[in-house]
Amino acid sequence: MDLDFTAEQVEFREQVLTWLTEHKPRESRPRDDAGIREYDLAWQRTQWEGGWAGIAWPTEYGGGGLTLLQQLIWYEEYAAQGLPGIDACFVGLNHAGPTVMLRGNEEQKSFHLPRILKGDVIWCQGFSEPEAGSDLASLRTKAVIDGDHLVVNGQKIWTSSANCADFQELLVRTDNTGSKHDGITWVIADMHTPGIDIRPIKTMEGGAEFCEVFYDDVRIPLSNVVGEINQGWSVAMSTLSFERGTAFTANQVRLAKVVEDLIDFSRDHVGPDGRRPAIADDEIARRLARSRASVASLRAMTYVGICHTMKSDTPGPRGSMLKLHYADLCKEIAALAMDIVGADGLRNSSRWDPMGWVGNYFYSFSQSIGGGTSEIQRNIIGERVLGLPR
Amino acid sequence: MDLLPSEDQRDLIAAATDFLESRMPIEGIRARDGQPSAVDRDAWLEGAELGLLTLGLPEEYGGSGRLLDDEALLFATLAEHLATGPFLTSSLAARVAAQCGDLDLVGRISDGSVLVGLAELRGDGSIGPEGIKGTFDLIDCAGVSHVLLVTELGAAIVDLDEFPDVETLDSSDPGIRLATSTVTAATVRHWLPSGTDPIWLRATVLSAAGLAGLANAVTRLATEHAKLRVQFGRPIGVHQAIKHACADMAVASDAAMSQTLFAAVCVQSGRQDALFHALAAKTVASRAAIANAGATIQVHGGMGYTYEHNAHLYLKRAHVISHLFGEPTQVLADLLEQGAPQ
Repeated sequence: MDLDFTAEQVEFREQVLTWLTEHKPRESRPRDDAGIREYDLAWQRTQWEGGWAGIAWPTEYGGGGLTLLQQLIWYEEYAAQGLPGIDACFVGLNHAGPTVMLRGNEEQKSFHLPRILKGDVIWCQGFSEPEAGSDLASLRTKAVIDGDHLVVNGQKIWTSSANCADFQELLVRTDNTGSKHDGITWVIADMHTPGIDIRPIKTMEGGAEFCEVFYDDVRIPLSNVVGEINQGWSVAMSTLSFERGTAFTANQVRLAKVVEDLIDFSRDHVGPDGRRPAIADDEIARRLARSRASVASLRAMTYVGICHTMKSDTPGPRGSMLKLHYADLCKEIAALAMDIVGADGLRNSSRWDPMGWVGNYFYSFSQSIGGGTSEIQRNIIGERVLGLPR
Repeated sequence: MDLLPSEDQRDLIAAATDFLESRMPIEGIRARDGQPSAVDRDAWLEGAELGLLTLGLPEEYGGSGRLLDDEALLFATLAEHLATGPFLTSSLAARVAAQCGDLDLVGRISDGSVLVGLAELRGDGSIGPEGIKGTFDLIDCAGVSHVLLVTELGAAIVDLDEFPDVETLDSSDPGIRLATSTVTAATVRHWLPSGTDPIWLRATVLSAAGLAGLANAVTRLATEHAKLRVQFGRPIGVHQAIKHACADMAVASDAAMSQTLFAAVCVQSGRQDALFHALAAKTVASRAAIANAGATIQVHGGMGYTYEHNAHLYLKRAHVISHLFGEPTQVLADLLEQGAPQ
């Protein structure tokens, strides 16, 4: 076993570091929708101009076609620079784009893929519904064929970035007669189509990063269907693993930084006894040390996962183990920060603020819900990793 | 970069597993309960012949000269099968003896004729090249001739005769033997400073490996039970209360093993943050082993609470290892003192 990088990989890391240092955004990310859209797209465009857009995408679609280890290096350096996640561009780059790549036709690929890479458009995901959360396949937003269009009626929820998106990967029910997994269709919705009503939902953290989306006789051309009508479930599942591979490295590096920041913070911040720094408190010191150990183990797991993926080509259900461990740690560390902050926790902050521990704590509750709840991850681990009966 | 066991390493694990299952079955722990020594000496000699004590010993001293990641996999496997006897201290002692030039002792440890137990200082005292002093827990020292002591500064080999008035104690883990002795002055046979070879660092990684092995073994035990045990007409593993407990165990043991192998590679390649990762491994693996063993008892219900079932043996072994080569709170304090990892 070894943790060595080849000379080429070391040189690659240098290139990444040099480029990121020169080109990373200097100003902090705005808080308003229009500002966020402009900021995220501008940064995506910069990455495209520098040849760094879609690092995991194959070169035939204009991506970087980087190896898994190069992707790992990119994300490690990216997060180490303190750069924000790809946020508004996430769905386009890591889900909708790869789905179009795998299951779309030539027109769909040539129209959409370059726009995603160049930072021209933002995508959002229209999967969850009020009555279809963890049980996604029970979705009932209805679409009927009318000539060469689908006419969509219904409602989606928890749609991140819907209020600044151009396109949506939308799952609709086109057939009610068979099993619930049959009869679903994956279609590209232009978010500017008449009949789409977007209502932001304010989160407990104070932001409004997700929305409800209502569809009232929304007409979508049949040419926007990806894959076949009624085959949408398999289309949606074809890329679920794409977001569980190396992209996760950035989260893990960011969390390790949070722990180190928290250790520094607790050296300066007065602790629970009101006199000494928080780190002088035995309980806090031990929890900080355990957080360090756990975050280190998350990184080791990520590396082991990448080694598996290099051998087998698919990340498999191990991705669920990483996501579960990460979510638990996010919450544990955020709660520890609140104990260190103490009564200063009465003062609200945003997770985007430097040392915004209160906002970070509120935000941490989303980590075990979004992208598949921790309960669903435990089902997946139990059934697909351990082979327990359904 | 590669953190997956190679074919060679998988063969090593398979050979050790074969030996342990046939020659050191877990049932032996109960069979020898109440006897002075926990060790089956015939099986010990066979294990020595197989090279289980000398895997990491340099070839020039008659060992296999394998790297620390191989040793980590071996000690994880030994713990998974609750192997009895002072495997870890004997192999570390062979290393100490070799570097102190005592080739006779190296030979006798390697062929299994000499066993080396462990002494852990409890409370005030000292361990150094000039001698040792204090009250010591003696672990698996029944019937051995030599004792290993490990500190951050170095490792010592002391003759068991140097420990006066050895009082046998009832051990919480029936798979080990425990005694205590208070030493006012004792001679150290060999002293190997950490600067020459960091025995403590190796011991930390290899005990983490043992803990990770335990965490893994009980995850398997609980999962198999959850597949087979039927209640309310279905295997209990269909229920989320059980399934999710097993999933949490799987994550904890994967984290423990991944971090342990990461640490082993850091130590063997001399990385700056090797100590950080070794301490992190010990921390994560201790918690995983104890939590998973507890969860396994719960998944097994009443049967898990019996002496007859193996679940408690894993729990008890996990507690023992977590107190070797550094108390858990000291490991955390040391970890917090380290700089950020690279």
